Amino acid sequence: MNTREKFSIVLLCLGFILALLPLSGSRSFTVKPNELLSEVLDDNTYLTVDQVAKFIISEDSSVQIIDLRSPEEFKTVNIPGSINIPYSELLDNDSGNILNNGKTMNIFYSNGDFDSNYALSIARGLNFKNTYVMKGGLNEWFKTVMNSNFTGETITARENSLFEARTRAKKMFTEMNSLPDSLKLKFIQSKHIAAKKLDGGCE
Amino acid sequence: MEIIKKYKEVITVVLIVLILVLIRSLGVNHFKNDAKRWAEPTIKQSNTITIEHYGTLPGKKLVINLDKDVSGISQITMDGQNIPADSILSKKYFKIIRKHDGPILLFSSETSVSARIWMVLSQMGFDNIYILNNNTDNEVFKYKFRPDTLPEPEL
Repeated sequence: MNTREKFSIVLLCLGFILALLPLSGSRSFTVKPNELLSEVLDDNTYLTVDQVAKFIISEDSSVQIIDLRSPEEFKTVNIPGSINIPYSELLDNDSGNILNNGKTMNIFYSNGDFDSNYALSIARGLNFKNTYVMKGGLNEWFKTVMNSNFTGETITARENSLFEARTRAKKMFTEMNSLPDSLKLKFIQSKHIAAKKLDGGCE
Repeated sequence: MEIIKKYKEVITVVLIVLILVLIRSLGVNHFKNDAKRWAEPTIKQSNTITIEHYGTLPGKKLVINLDKDVSGISQITMDGQNIPADSILSKKYFKIIRKHDGPILLFSSETSVSARIWMVLSQMGFDNIYILNNNTDNEVFKYKFRPDTLPEPEL
């Protein structure tokens, strides 16, 4: 029997094994349960809205903010620089590429605390260790950043720095979200194209 | 015997691949296949229940207080089980959860903790599990954004 025939038989057998495998393209958790439990209970997976505000004003490219709300909600108002992956689509195949794109941090947010924390458990379960949650979501963002004001007479250096960061983030948020829909879409698309170019992809 | 000798290389390659496939497919993974299917109740938002309505669930209920502080659960039920979130997978407590026949209700003063633990347990195959939560509008946007309509000053 020559090598060619042997090679053909090997290929046939491999094809047979492949045909018998379950036809599921769906993903499953890969980490061990106890490992996942300690990760999801780690306080370091929470980021405050002030921490996120600092990332926004510094336009830190190593951070990717992910809005888990519906496209309609995202279009109405969103955190500058964020991208939209509706929570219901998080487990679709494309989202894995987005989470695994070499960014050092993926920060999830939704309106409240449910969807973002489900998303964190899912992402960590799929072994995306670079995922975090903005605690309190967009409601907390509005409460702390958008409605921030100072009423006292004296201010410490720390308070001043925090207030300044909030004011700048609020300004960026308002400017971006005040753009007409057509321009807002262009702004978002340009962000996507820029991100893809940085990752070496093509449009 | 002759055939085995003749096809020695072919059989070796196929056997190695077969063993690797079997290890990968049947390997001990405590999580269920198809993560999306087990996360489905969170998309439909059918996995949360209010304290007022939890009594309507059929069957014997197991209410788990995930907080270290045990006072929270007494506000809901007297027969709840205190299992701190970080111990939920320990042998002792996991056995209680696994053996329970009926709805399991997770309670924590921190919504994020109960949401995260719900997902872990659901992906392990628990399908009669809920989050006990009174904050029904947690995922509702509560503010109104006021766009900046003032024209930019011309310089």
